[in-house]
Amino acid sequence: MAKFSFTDDIYFGSIAEISAALRTKEFSTVELTRAFCDRLEKLGPRYNALALSLREPALRKAKEVDRDFKLDRVRSPLQGIPYGAKDLLAVKGKPTTWGAKPYASQVFDEDAQVIALLDKAGAILIGKLSMVELAGGGGYRFPSASLTGPGLNPWDRTRWSGGSSSGPGSATAAGLVTFSIGSETSGSILTPSAYCGITGLRPTYGLVSRRGAMALSWTLDKIGPMCRSAEDCALVLSVIAGVDYEDPGSAGKSFHYVPQFARKPDEITVGYAPIDFDESADPAARAGFQEALKVVKSLGMNMKEVEIPDFPYGALVSTIIGAEAASVFEDFLRSEKVNELADHRQAQGLKTGLDIPAIEYLRAMRVRALVQQAFKDLFFGVDFLLAPTRPTIASKVTDPLDRPTTPAATAQKSRGLNGLIPAGNLAGLPAISLPCGFAAALPIAISVVGRPFYENQLIAIGKAFQAHTDWHRRRPPVTE
Amino acid sequence: MLAVAAVAPQAGVSQTAPPADADLESARELLRTNTTQIAKVKLLMATEPAFHFKA
Repeated sequence: MAKFSFTDDIYFGSIAEISAALRTKEFSTVELTRAFCDRLEKLGPRYNALALSLREPALRKAKEVDRDFKLDRVRSPLQGIPYGAKDLLAVKGKPTTWGAKPYASQVFDEDAQVIALLDKAGAILIGKLSMVELAGGGGYRFPSASLTGPGLNPWDRTRWSGGSSSGPGSATAAGLVTFSIGSETSGSILTPSAYCGITGLRPTYGLVSRRGAMALSWTLDKIGPMCRSAEDCALVLSVIAGVDYEDPGSAGKSFHYVPQFARKPDEITVGYAPIDFDESADPAARAGFQEALKVVKSLGMNMKEVEIPDFPYGALVSTIIGAEAASVFEDFLRSEKVNELADHRQAQGLKTGLDIPAIEYLRAMRVRALVQQAFKDLFFGVDFLLAPTRPTIASKVTDPLDRPTTPAATAQKSRGLNGLIPAGNLAGLPAISLPCGFAAALPIAISVVGRPFYENQLIAIGKAFQAHTDWHRRRPPVTE
Repeated sequence: MLAVAAVAPQAGVSQTAPPADADLESARELLRTNTTQIAKVKLLMATEPAFHFKA
């Protein structure tokens, strides 16, 4: 067979497209894996996206998958598909750094559950992808808070890729992997997905096992797919979701992608706040957000204006993560090793978590119960919530991250759905971020948030939006 | 797994970290602000924390 020449159509191909090419033997899994490894090793460092290449085990796995293809053994739609995983997921016998210098030589003797599930499905893990150190739990001040340096955005390398799943965001956007696995405690899948122009899905709390993942906040951590379309998110979620009796947070539920059972648009009511698409957004992004809103309205769903329940979401998330992370990392935080973290603010923030009294953590968790009830009540009137994922474009990599930029809440006519990221995480709700345009040549995105375990319908809405737009197919200017 | 709040581009800001004690004070100030904001929410005795233990 003549050597296949891989083009951008493969590097940016969908899971279904690449899977079809593998099954028709347009190229072998080994050839595909080798080409993606070359690309990831060459271009990953350009975006500070690569934590560790896994070329050797990937090629071994690719040979195994090719044998399966020869024998017509079909494992899953992900069979032979190259992917990357955030470096907070354990891979047996390989360094798992959690993006932090003090853990640079850490090695586990077991794969994380999602890695094991993807392996069983025949997906090819080609690399560990970079992340903000310790998933940013202490509140980092600069994008450079990472062992691999600041995550650089493939659309403009002077801009941040977002965090803490920085590598998955950049690598997926730049076509260095076909999909990636990220994690979110409060915004870490949605933010890099929005900034890098990819489609990210934050599953319902407990739907995907966290076994073998770094814990930051037991009651908030989630693992989810970061892809280039809603359809791809569905295929990946189908593999990684499910019961895990060894994850105490496991919801005991599975996910089956059944688009045929999604409700019709006229049976769906979407809650939104016009202010989110206007005054609350970066002026440069408003036109794009308003156009996206028009597209959603044209899909035939019922639209209803709503406002987010009034709670101090940021304070709640900060207190809960602070207290739980301090407990997770107590020994580390009481040692000198904490001072080896790249970001001073992050180190001090984590250490300060040790000072949160039990009474304050409990109060935050009791208020969280009210948040959950308030969202249950809100979902009596609407089926989904819609808002810009982030009101702004990606910041410059040299800019500090601790300056708020959206107009002060007091100066606004309405809260809109401001705070939907921390609120959705506190309530454990699923969300999908969909690219919806550009502002100043950088991607912007909208998010749809649903009731717990409504992923199938969320993905259906994402697919419908992406059938009417092509923002998710846009490719950043990547040249080898 | 934590994304920081959205930020605006700010030209000309150096990436020099402030002194560690300033960072510590800033972290402590955040804790105080969080406490004040959360304390404003009224809670009934019956409101239990939002976590569950499965035996």
